[in-house]
Amino acid sequence: MKRKGLSFYFRIYCKILAQDLKSKMSYRADFIISTIGMIFTNIAGFVSFWILFRSFPSINGWSYYEILFLYGFSLVSLTPVQCLFDNNWNLRQYVYSGDFIKYCFRPINLFFYYQSEVFDIKGLGQLAFGIGTLAYSWNKLELGFTPLMLIKMVIFLITASFIMIALQNAAAATCFWIQNSFYVMDLVLKFKDYAKYPITIFSPIFRFIFTFIIPIAFIAYYPSVVILRPDAVPVLSWLSPIISCILFGLSYKFWMYSAMKYNGTGS
Amino acid sequence: MYSIEMKNVSKEFKVLNRHEGLKGSLKDLFSRDYKIIRAVDNINMNIEQGEIVGYLGPNGAGKSTTIKMMTGVLEPTSGEILVGGNVPYKNRTKNAQEIGVVFGQRSQLWWALPLIESFKILKDIYGVSDEDYNNMLTLYQSLVDIEPLLHKPVRQMSLGQRTLSDILAAFLHNPKIVFLDEPTIGLDVSMKAKIRTLIHALNKEKNTTVILTTHDMGDVDALCQRIVIIDKGKMLYDNDTMHLKNFFGSYRTLKIRIDGNLKQQTEKIKFALPDFSISADEEWISILIDEEKAKVMEVLNQLQSSYEIRDMQLEEISTEDVIKKIYEEGVE
Repeated sequence: MKRKGLSFYFRIYCKILAQDLKSKMSYRADFIISTIGMIFTNIAGFVSFWILFRSFPSINGWSYYEILFLYGFSLVSLTPVQCLFDNNWNLRQYVYSGDFIKYCFRPINLFFYYQSEVFDIKGLGQLAFGIGTLAYSWNKLELGFTPLMLIKMVIFLITASFIMIALQNAAAATCFWIQNSFYVMDLVLKFKDYAKYPITIFSPIFRFIFTFIIPIAFIAYYPSVVILRPDAVPVLSWLSPIISCILFGLSYKFWMYSAMKYNGTGS
Repeated sequence: MYSIEMKNVSKEFKVLNRHEGLKGSLKDLFSRDYKIIRAVDNINMNIEQGEIVGYLGPNGAGKSTTIKMMTGVLEPTSGEILVGGNVPYKNRTKNAQEIGVVFGQRSQLWWALPLIESFKILKDIYGVSDEDYNNMLTLYQSLVDIEPLLHKPVRQMSLGQRTLSDILAAFLHNPKIVFLDEPTIGLDVSMKAKIRTLIHALNKEKNTTVILTTHDMGDVDALCQRIVIIDKGKMLYDNDTMHLKNFFGSYRTLKIRIDGNLKQQTEKIKFALPDFSISADEEWISILIDEEKAKVMEVLNQLQSSYEIRDMQLEEISTEDVIKKIYEEGVE
């Protein structure tokens, strides 16, 4: 049997996605309501952000537009995890009920097969909102525009996405080990909210935690510094693409290992 | 080459010895006190290509552990398994290409998609050629009325339709072996019959090996030439279905409900039908009928002429009864 490469998986994913979208659109009310819900969630998030920064024009040397840039950056970089890996949230139920086993009988990668089942279209609204915010603050900050900056931007957005995906995979995979992994998932989700602030505003302890223990500072801060403050980029920023790949790889290995281990315990 | 070969296969699980009460649970947190449970104990069997084998046993007997080992999800603690020449655990994905699996209540199809779209995705996943795919669909059309199912999302299907769809999906890539775990559980009589006919036809047409776990002796009667019985991890029986039948006779239990004093009536019936074993509970009078001696209908007619029967039930003998009898009397 020939080995199944990236193009094979890409083709399968597109097929599943196309069908899934088609069937989702057929529930028009559901589709419209969830889209509206997503828009309001974003607006609410933005409003609370705006109110906060109206009273403090700058925090610790970070201007309003710079913070806005970070906010937009985190929205965009959180889109892939929202759209492509949303099935992680259901993993707990599948494992609890024993239904997870049904994913183990296909001749394709287990992780891929599991994640491909759900595409959360609501994430696209967040993407549009994030890009808008980014473009607006970019313009206001008068950062200028060169092809190199665009490449940097894309690379670091991907970096940031990988980190968030890795965190979520690892958090989701804990359900193979413990009864109620909801708290772990929820914890990661809550920490994610801190990702949109520059890490320098936190105390050294939290700075350390957010960099090395729960690396959410890599979701927006370290990558966007490359664009925002090109004169004083920390080493960690340049390392972040590599770190993100390693973390993603580790989280994938952990997820797969946990899944196989779980099956091994029988049920 | 055998379709499935199992040689001295055992599977052990390590389970923590749990203590009672709050103090006990605290103790468990630090305890290293494990016990070993042998879920599957030294199983040997060889299955030929094209056989339909009924794999029976009470709940917790080790059936699904065996199936999980054959499908490559679990690694045996000791012993050898070959499925279609592959070691399943080592080549899980390669093995998966050549088998099909249906778990009675757990649909593996895409919940939101119409069946035909699921089929198309499966076609790509398994790399089925257009020609084979079309032939398979034509075959399906000749066996069951799938037209109304094809464009219906799986979510909206009844349990019977879903099971039917799952079975069709499992055979789609023309696997050498199909594992069916309780395919008729929870289905009505006509759907059961439909599914049995379908499995039988697909097995004949494609010479697919079918491993069928079930609690329903009706499935065994309709489909299996051979049965393997397992209990507490050990193999109790592996032989033709006919052989077991001869030994067992063909028993069915007729249950009736009649007016009047149950005790007196039971005594009367016992007197009228001296050949059969008769018992009674609060509501029902049970008559175990050996169909080689008398037909159920004859007995029922005889009873009806002298009593007014309010209600009746006919029960097939269950796997549990079979196993109990094997334990008590042995098979040879």
